[in-house]
Amino acid sequence: MTDETRLSELRAKFGRVPPAPDEPSPKPLTLREKQPRFEGLVSGHRACQGCGEALAARLVMESAGPDVMVANATGCLEVFTTPWPQSAWHVPWIHSLFENAPAVASGMEAAMKAQGKKTKVLAFGGDGGTYDIGFQALSGMLERYHNILYVCYDNEAYMNTGIQRSSSTPHAASTTTSPAGKDRMGKRHLKKDLLSIIAAHHVPYAASASVAFPADLQRKVRYAMGIEGPTFIVVHSPCPLGWKHASALTIEVARRAVECGLFPLVELERGSLSNVMPIRSPRPVRDYLEVQGRFAHLMKDKDPRAEKERDHLQALADYNIATFGLAGAAQDANDTGGAAAVGRGGPLVGGM
Amino acid sequence: MAVLTRGAYALPGTSLDFKTGNWRSTEVPAHVHAKAPCHGACPAGEDQQAWFGLLQQNNLEGAWRELVSANPLPAITGRVCPHPCETACNRVTLDGALAIHNVERWLGDRAIEHGWAYPAAAPAADAPVVAIVGAGPAGLSAAWHCVRLGLRAEIFEALPEAGGLLRSGIPPTRLPRDVIDAEIERLLAVPGITLNLRARLGRDVTLDGLRRSHAAVLLGPGCQEGKDWSVQGAVPVDLHEGLALLREFMDVGAFPPGDRVIVHGGGNTAMDLCRMLKRAGAGHVTLVTASGLPGPETDPGDVINVVPRELEEALEEGVEIIAHATINRLIMKGSKVTGVEVVSLRKLKGADGRTKRVSFEGTERVLPVDLVVPCVGERVSPEGLEGLLRGGYLRSVDAWGRLAADGVIAMGDARGDRGTVAEAIGDGRRAALAAAALVAGAPEPQEDAREVLQANALNTRYYPPRARSAAPKLPVEARTFEAEIEGCIGSDAALAEAARCLSCGNCLACDNCWTFCPDNAVIKTVELARDGSHYVFDLDYCKGCGLCAAECPTGYIQMVAEA
Repeated sequence: MTDETRLSELRAKFGRVPPAPDEPSPKPLTLREKQPRFEGLVSGHRACQGCGEALAARLVMESAGPDVMVANATGCLEVFTTPWPQSAWHVPWIHSLFENAPAVASGMEAAMKAQGKKTKVLAFGGDGGTYDIGFQALSGMLERYHNILYVCYDNEAYMNTGIQRSSSTPHAASTTTSPAGKDRMGKRHLKKDLLSIIAAHHVPYAASASVAFPADLQRKVRYAMGIEGPTFIVVHSPCPLGWKHASALTIEVARRAVECGLFPLVELERGSLSNVMPIRSPRPVRDYLEVQGRFAHLMKDKDPRAEKERDHLQALADYNIATFGLAGAAQDANDTGGAAAVGRGGPLVGGM
Repeated sequence: MAVLTRGAYALPGTSLDFKTGNWRSTEVPAHVHAKAPCHGACPAGEDQQAWFGLLQQNNLEGAWRELVSANPLPAITGRVCPHPCETACNRVTLDGALAIHNVERWLGDRAIEHGWAYPAAAPAADAPVVAIVGAGPAGLSAAWHCVRLGLRAEIFEALPEAGGLLRSGIPPTRLPRDVIDAEIERLLAVPGITLNLRARLGRDVTLDGLRRSHAAVLLGPGCQEGKDWSVQGAVPVDLHEGLALLREFMDVGAFPPGDRVIVHGGGNTAMDLCRMLKRAGAGHVTLVTASGLPGPETDPGDVINVVPRELEEALEEGVEIIAHATINRLIMKGSKVTGVEVVSLRKLKGADGRTKRVSFEGTERVLPVDLVVPCVGERVSPEGLEGLLRGGYLRSVDAWGRLAADGVIAMGDARGDRGTVAEAIGDGRRAALAAAALVAGAPEPQEDAREVLQANALNTRYYPPRARSAAPKLPVEARTFEAEIEGCIGSDAALAEAARCLSCGNCLACDNCWTFCPDNAVIKTVELARDGSHYVFDLDYCKGCGLCAAECPTGYIQMVAEA
């Protein structure tokens, strides 16, 4: 299929033929319709105030769309975007079960292939649907080498059902099923290193991203969209309700997670580390913990157990920094400082 | 809302029918144009942020036009101002305040070099005429602002040259004469301003006459008379008062002989004089001041009131300073002074809560001197102002400088509580506003009453680090009476400084709010929105999470109580 026919097909599908200058447009576009970005996930969705996942999904759709379709696992994203009879999606979208989004997406991709179409299939899941429940379907999808971008919105617990711990919940976080109290300091176990497991499938591209660094996140999505084959991105998406922080702090919390080393931003191609976002000046893990209610029990200064767990989390962060080489040698346009730089008129590309 | 039967599929995009804006509980984001702290601190009323914003867009002439909309003499203030804007600059907590002062000078010089025209339309031929007494910084500023407000200005200056204290009180090492000439000449060429030289109040014109012939009278006569100075009644026969001595030196080119000189006082005139005396060859120049030197132990209210860089340069050049001290006694040989007794003192709170100077017995020391110069301040010459002076000054209780006599407005040093060129320029602007209100019959002139943006409203995370640039300076050995000590910062450094501006309280169009809103409730517009930004809030969908306000680098978005 030539680009020209593909383009006319897309125009017919989306009806966005721009009117000629002399042609009166039928109805003037509203400001919202004139937004210079693709809105695949529109307003009116029922996410909570300051939802990191809604933000992450919107950012992903902006860079991936419009020629995409989505298979969505059960979870917050599915629930808050599609309260019957409404939908916030501006692309074909399907939800089947908690555990089978990668399998459904595999079928969609096979159907596109059979029809000779190039529409890219995306599969979305939360950390519950990805790290736990849909894990074997995801593994199968990667192994069968489907041309699918899987995006995991990682908010580190089953938020939709009431904040139950998942295998993605970080060590020592308090959830309703790993409550902090007399006997335990929150979750006993460690956060699963899913990215290494994905990378072990030898897929072309697997990356972690964060809502605090939207330009970096969107670059990774665009890169993955250009790859023919299974690709995977996990996006750290704070949940004000489950993490117990103010809704205005979503970005700040996500940023601190990256800057302390607990959520490293890395890219793996064919199983090997190809890129990392260096941390300009690593901050103590305490900065990250103290703004979240789910770690409030670690902030008790007189409790030796709290001190031990804080040191444990700091050791995990230090381990990440050492393992991935996150401590940059010098200031760099792509480190956590440079990636955030803005100036008059927008983000500073290559800004220090 | 579309009505759908059971089992139907959702129409794409229908969630737009559901207005999540009604989830907001208490607060709603708003664009708040707070004053940038530089603007808030500027005695002349400049909005430094605004012209730095234009410099960031590489619009140099536009930046200069914005600058002169408040201060018509930037090449001059860019050399002499103590720049409270830099002290207030929010960038000081990051990597040093912006070098606003140096950039102002560069921009002012550039305007002179390129001949950029002052942006004001000529007032109508029959526009009311305002009389301005004194062509110093206050009078010149008032004339400029009168023209901007559609009035004609007629200036009456006693001396044969315009400039006032700029010429008589500031040495050319700080303010070269060709800069004064160039800038004032350009300003006086603005249509609507007429200048009458050699027209002295009380001799050539009278206040009553001016009040009859003009719509309003703005008084900027400056302070011409030294305050009386004596030590326990003793006054040396060859007393030279500070400002008069400085003026004399600029005319004659020599100081009275003396190797050991003591200057008594603690202002910029005293500091200038010390440095000039030192450069003229005096072996020991000592400043005796009741204030303290800046340092961690000195109370900020007690620090000597001079431009910090001047103090620094004076110490570099070898001026000695005796802080927290006063002259207790003059040791006279006949009526000539041969020595002074200096005693330590402190300003202390007395039982009645008032600050008093308390000298400490037993700290007296005698210094031999050839010359004692008091620099304890000046007052208004009463000529032609009989009946208006209170305690030597044209005191006014209101910010606009209005006096008891109808249509008479005071400005500049003559008000008694001023002391810098920038304050005089600000007074000129306010006096012109008050005059315009008077002419128009409006009840009260309006001043910008917005709040100043505090540093904690910024999200400094988004500003890349950038070091402050410094202007070149003559080394101590090379300093003469004529050569300007501080050099020009240069175009590259000036524009680099401009890029450092945080734009406190003003939209940078950085897209953060647009990017970070989880609800698509921030809409970007190509045209400028009504509030001067490129974004509008779609409150139909805003849930009030506050992310946009938290991530706005400049503090332009703030969460305000829901109406």
